[in-house]
Amino acid sequence: MERFGFLARFARNRGALAGALMILVVALAALVAPLAFPIDPLRIVGAPELWPGEAPEFPLGTDSLGRDILAMIVHGARATLLIGLFASAVATLIGVSAGAIAGYFGGWIDETMMRVAELFQTIPNLIFVLTIVMILGSTLTNIVIAIGIVSWTSIARLTRAEFLALRDREFVQACRAMGMSNLRIIVGEILPNALPPVIVLSSLVVAGAVLFESAVSFLGLGDPNVASWGRLIGDGRQLIRSSWYISAIPGVAVMVTVLCLNLIGDGLNDALNPKLRDR
Amino acid sequence: MTNVTRREFSAGALATGVVGGIAPAFAQGEPKRGGTLVATWGGGEPQACYVPAGGGSSPIFSSSKLFERLGDRTMSGEFVGELAEGWKPAADFKSYVVKLRKGVKFHDGKDMTVEDVVYSADEIWRKFAAAAALTDLTGVEAPDADTVVFKFNKPTPEFFFSSLLCGVVSYVVPKHIYAGTDPVTNPANNAPIGTGPWKFKEWVRGSHFEYVKNDAYWRKGYPYLDRMIIRYVRDPAGRAAAMEAGEIHIGVFNPVAPPDIKRLTATGKFAATSKGYEESVWSTSFECNLRNPIFEKREVRQAMFHAIDRSFIAKTVYYGYARPGTSPIFSPNKEFFTADTYRTEFDPKKAAALLDGAGFPKKADGKRFTLNLLAAGWFTENGKIGAYVKQALEDVGVGINLTVPDRPTSIKRIYTDYDFDLAISNQSNPSEPVPATTQYYTSDGIKKGVPFRNASGFHTAEVDALVERIKVETDAAKRKAMIVEFQQIITREAPNLPLVELESITVASTKVQNHSNDPDYLAASWYDIWLA
Amino acid sequence: MRVAPAGGSSRRLAALRLLRRRLVQAVPLLLGVLIINFVLIQLAPGSFLELMTAENQVSDPTTVELLRKTYGLDDPVWLQLLKYIWALAHLDFGFSYRQNMPVIDAILIHLPATLLLMLSSITLAFVVGVAAGVVASVKVRTVWDSLVSIAAMFFFAAPSFWLGIMMIVLFALKLGWLPVSGMATIGGGGGVLDVLRHLILPTLALGLFYAAIYARVMRSAMLEVAQLDFVRAARAKGLSRTKVTLSHVLRNALLPVVTILGVQMGTVLAGSVVIESVFSWPGIGSLLFDSVSSRNYPVVLGIMVLGSLVVIVANIVVDLVYMWLDPRIEIR
Repeated sequence: MERFGFLARFARNRGALAGALMILVVALAALVAPLAFPIDPLRIVGAPELWPGEAPEFPLGTDSLGRDILAMIVHGARATLLIGLFASAVATLIGVSAGAIAGYFGGWIDETMMRVAELFQTIPNLIFVLTIVMILGSTLTNIVIAIGIVSWTSIARLTRAEFLALRDREFVQACRAMGMSNLRIIVGEILPNALPPVIVLSSLVVAGAVLFESAVSFLGLGDPNVASWGRLIGDGRQLIRSSWYISAIPGVAVMVTVLCLNLIGDGLNDALNPKLRDR
Repeated sequence: MTNVTRREFSAGALATGVVGGIAPAFAQGEPKRGGTLVATWGGGEPQACYVPAGGGSSPIFSSSKLFERLGDRTMSGEFVGELAEGWKPAADFKSYVVKLRKGVKFHDGKDMTVEDVVYSADEIWRKFAAAAALTDLTGVEAPDADTVVFKFNKPTPEFFFSSLLCGVVSYVVPKHIYAGTDPVTNPANNAPIGTGPWKFKEWVRGSHFEYVKNDAYWRKGYPYLDRMIIRYVRDPAGRAAAMEAGEIHIGVFNPVAPPDIKRLTATGKFAATSKGYEESVWSTSFECNLRNPIFEKREVRQAMFHAIDRSFIAKTVYYGYARPGTSPIFSPNKEFFTADTYRTEFDPKKAAALLDGAGFPKKADGKRFTLNLLAAGWFTENGKIGAYVKQALEDVGVGINLTVPDRPTSIKRIYTDYDFDLAISNQSNPSEPVPATTQYYTSDGIKKGVPFRNASGFHTAEVDALVERIKVETDAAKRKAMIVEFQQIITREAPNLPLVELESITVASTKVQNHSNDPDYLAASWYDIWLA
Repeated sequence: MRVAPAGGSSRRLAALRLLRRRLVQAVPLLLGVLIINFVLIQLAPGSFLELMTAENQVSDPTTVELLRKTYGLDDPVWLQLLKYIWALAHLDFGFSYRQNMPVIDAILIHLPATLLLMLSSITLAFVVGVAAGVVASVKVRTVWDSLVSIAAMFFFAAPSFWLGIMMIVLFALKLGWLPVSGMATIGGGGGVLDVLRHLILPTLALGLFYAAIYARVMRSAMLEVAQLDFVRAARAKGLSRTKVTLSHVLRNALLPVVTILGVQMGTVLAGSVVIESVFSWPGIGSLLFDSVSSRNYPVVLGIMVLGSLVVIVANIVVDLVYMWLDPRIEIR
């Protein structure tokens, strides 16, 4: 019964529905990429700087070296979603662990954890990501970890707040009385109840990660072996006088993806917190 | 004795005419006096106005207007005296007598003397500016107030010595400013005092250098202009916009992107030229790390080059402002370049055949072996070339892992750690091949930790011996023959060869006269430039 | 948060208490920033010494050792860190051998441009966002509301650097109304108006993202506050709708916006670094890239510390504004 209620509430938000559908399209593109565009998207396949529509085999045109932009957009969907998901996973892992421990144990553990979170919130996040990537090298792993490191604090705070609220409830006290270990209580009892709002936040972190990754690639610090949307925007920057479509098209892709993720986040929020609806 | 050029002679005559106080009506082509020139170049601000070791093109551009060298090379190829009147070899070519010009003063009023030359050669050139070239210099002496004698422990060819005196940062610096200090950190490097046509006035960091006319310049009647400003603009689009708005008159070394070059010249208000870079030709090079046993056989190395379409790189990555390179000595080098070398033309089939023959057939997954390709990230073009080369090599069955690290990481990985299998880097060499070109291919060129040296690890007894003979051969014809042989060996061995030679472009407003008249124009003093 | 008694002097006291607390907390924060970045730089391949010796073509070992000493790199790492912290306590940010000037000078040359951009973007974001949010809430569920929502969604999702490029294409290249890049016209045509002209596009590119956030937050805050008891009471008393909106609702609805503003100060600074790259704006962004590129760690650390300081100060200001807006609140 609850499940249907959730979906129904989600679907009532038309924006969220549209967002979810679009993301499915993007995800589908990501899955289908190797089949529909089997050639490595970074391969040079045509004359450089062809406008969209100028050559029938390249519906979105070619870039400065002669690579197929449509292929790069479709394959880029893959890279973008994967990076977004993995970075969000890293952030969620760190954030939930830190927040759970801080919220459950309280006291000086809580104080220290919050100081550390404040530390990471004080360092301007993109600057930190750029510095990490510039120093440690432009590989996909480094980028994912760097984004995860700057994104965990909001998840930690939320988790902490949830744990603070839940740890004094009767069911938790009952578990303690039964002699359950702290770990079991945290992971088995409180966490499942604390997760819903965290999931909403995680979806927004995915959107943030997509924006981070595109900024990093735009500045030329992305992995050169990956067809990233941000890198394409950066490549097109020198040619905005004559071939501005090279920068325009991938930017639209990023915007649509981030928009959909935000709409989904809104929808999840509405679905999980029906009382706060009607704003 | 080397000559004073006719140009200087007539310029002197012109000057006397003007100084006479009459204001003649200037016909077109008659230099106009006065005004301020605003110049820029295709890179960024230097770390200091003058860097004793060179420090890259930016400080060379800024310091060459304030300092001068003993000699200069003209567009026609002659060597002429600048701060020297001339020079002559001894009969055994183990020493050279240089006659110093009289009446030259530094910007602070002190005379330039033989002591300054001796100091510069001993402390600056030998230690920083031309260390590799001066390994055989045994001493510099001043037997009298006008003469400096350079002594070598081996016979030294005249072309080599003349090139030395024109060395890009072989300036005569004031001993009274630099003696007893550490030249690298001397504060005068940010406000240099030299003998040049321009005097340092101000450095507004992040913006520009301002130079003013040296009224006591030894070339009477020069410079024509009152002031020169070197402006630094971070991005090429900004430079193009500034030039269009008339705020910058001339930009050297590819100041704007290729599409903008066409756009600016189409307005008729600007001219673009590739003249002025003959002594400073840049190339994009491709080298194999012979420490990897795969590259032991020269056929494998040749195959790498056969797989690459250099014309594609020239056309697409450089928009046509480059040409395929064939020899370690570049084609504008009239003295020594030869086209009669072993060619590694674009021929993927031949590449595949060579690899098969060398014992590297395609395995089940289509790959023969996998290599690490490092494209030095200091130019964006290198990254693009890296992406293309990766594709080209994968097409002949060589798996490639591409990295495009930033400048310090690239320098470290290529020239210190030798942590690469294939590398895309850049070189800029003068006409004299020793040591700039030869040190990429000899055993004494392998210097761990020093950038832009022999990183491929290639050396053979044959080439080492040949280069040693080239260093001491004083007969010009014999020397050329040896250098031709050198090119033929190296192109056949293919350890490190240019992919393309870059065409550097100067863009200038049509108002600017007398520019691009030196074979290394970026490093010239611009004493005779004027604005119409 | 505690609810404290209202009244002028106790407000001032509360503000001072906050100030002192925050400044004390700032010290371990900055220390933490320092340590993290110091460790990071040590992990970088290629050191400053290697780069400088490379650029100066120094291969002679004794000269290399001399340079190592000069750059202070011959101490063990932990000692380098301690020396740096000690110097920093005396407000000595060290010397940048690359630019041949003290680090603080190098940073101060570039910092004003960044601060200008940040300030104008935040102002734009605040003014536009709050105004849009108010309009949307007052005309809720009408066309205006939808328009604001759509615009907010667009500017929130569009990457700021891409927005900047698109604006350059439209306003600078196609229409020619505004300059393509830079902070002032080369050749010093200059003056305040010139800088303002150059400031427009970067401000829009950076600020519209935050304007979108503030618009949405403002809208929901306004709607929420409008339903609260004290507002209904004011309306019941007969005060005009506008008066109620402006004096009661607005003031309280601003609180969440102000909170978010403080939290996001760090991201605004970070965002300006990217925008500076797009527009060749001569701020600390370029200095940061160049310094990381050359492993010039005194400058990198200096920028990180100053950047974090900007964030801390901004947060303090925001908290003070928050307390001024709602005198009942004292922030811990």
